[in-house]
Amino acid sequence: MASSVRFTVSLFLATFFLLLRASAAGQDPKPKPENTISVRLGDPVPAQKFANPPKFWISDVIDRSGNPQPMLVLKERGGIFLDRQPTVIVREALEESLKAANLLATDANSADLLLKVYLFQFGLAQGSRLDFFGKVEFTAMVKNPKSGESLEVKAAGTSIAKVAVLKKNIQKNVQDDVEESLRDAVRNFLRGQQLKEAAGALRKSTDAAPGVAPNP
Amino acid sequence: MRIGIRTMMVVLLLACAAAAAKEKDATPQFKTAEAKHFTQAEGVELTPAFGDYFYAELREELKKAKLAGEVIGEGETVDDADAAQSIVVTGTITEYKKGSVVKSTLIGFGAGLRSLKMDADVLRRSDNQHLGVVRIHVKIDPTWNEKTMAKFAAHQMVKDMKVALKAQAK
Repeated sequence: MASSVRFTVSLFLATFFLLLRASAAGQDPKPKPENTISVRLGDPVPAQKFANPPKFWISDVIDRSGNPQPMLVLKERGGIFLDRQPTVIVREALEESLKAANLLATDANSADLLLKVYLFQFGLAQGSRLDFFGKVEFTAMVKNPKSGESLEVKAAGTSIAKVAVLKKNIQKNVQDDVEESLRDAVRNFLRGQQLKEAAGALRKSTDAAPGVAPNP
Repeated sequence: MRIGIRTMMVVLLLACAAAAAKEKDATPQFKTAEAKHFTQAEGVELTPAFGDYFYAELREELKKAKLAGEVIGEGETVDDADAAQSIVVTGTITEYKKGSVVKSTLIGFGAGLRSLKMDADVLRRSDNQHLGVVRIHVKIDPTWNEKTMAKFAAHQMVKDMKVALKAQAK
């Protein structure tokens, strides 16, 4: 009799813990200060040298990732969240680097070229499970406000970081990985041949257009 | 006799330390290296995500190998002065076989393994001159995912590239 009761109690407890675990696994992680990372560019990325340096202005940064939770970087192990929207982080990174290279206009009206950025990926992509694969990918529509012409410039940045066992180390590695891929993407954009060609072609069209005053 | 062995050990240690220091201080062979996304030959069925991941791994391996002072992204500009000392790595995935878990389990001895063949060309940036051709063949267990295969392939490719470029420099 006693053994039967003991067995029933054990079975009940086991079922209870299994159900509790299953329900916990099904829940989405919530952002807390201890699982939130702050991704920043750090030092500005040096831009390429233009023959006739234009002034850029970032008119808009739009999220086109289709990700319902853009701030959630990693779902496993209680989740890792970003402290700001990816669009804000990318805008800040581009503005910092353009400003450092003296390529940022003071406002949209004084800009030679307007940038409308479409962000396709920000954070971690699926890797080999032996490491973290960071990826930032965006396309910028470079527009000449005077002629109304625009050209597309693509940029992508990748980074590989080691996996870790401890939550603290996972968080650190993910943060480094995303920062490195952001830096790589910004660098790919600012030092890319595509931007050089787009800026040259768009400014040439303004210079060639009759009745348009040259930029100061 | 004892002094002789001790002296020999000290000399060996010094030689090893000198070799390690030489390896550490060795200046990179090139100023910049640019890896491009590899194209896929007809009949190769790999996901676009594989291409992206392999590209990332290849860049990471190039950084680790210290073949160039700087590993730049695809389509980035290089100063004209550095172009002659810069390389571009392009390549093609020529063959991919998914492998068979059944064959691998029942037969073993390398049967049913997942296999990947790749060709890579190393070109000098300034004049597109061929500096080396690397051909690799990677085989892994069919239960492992393709990204793991990309990791092994990138490692093997840079290892072979380093050897080929060293031989070419001599």
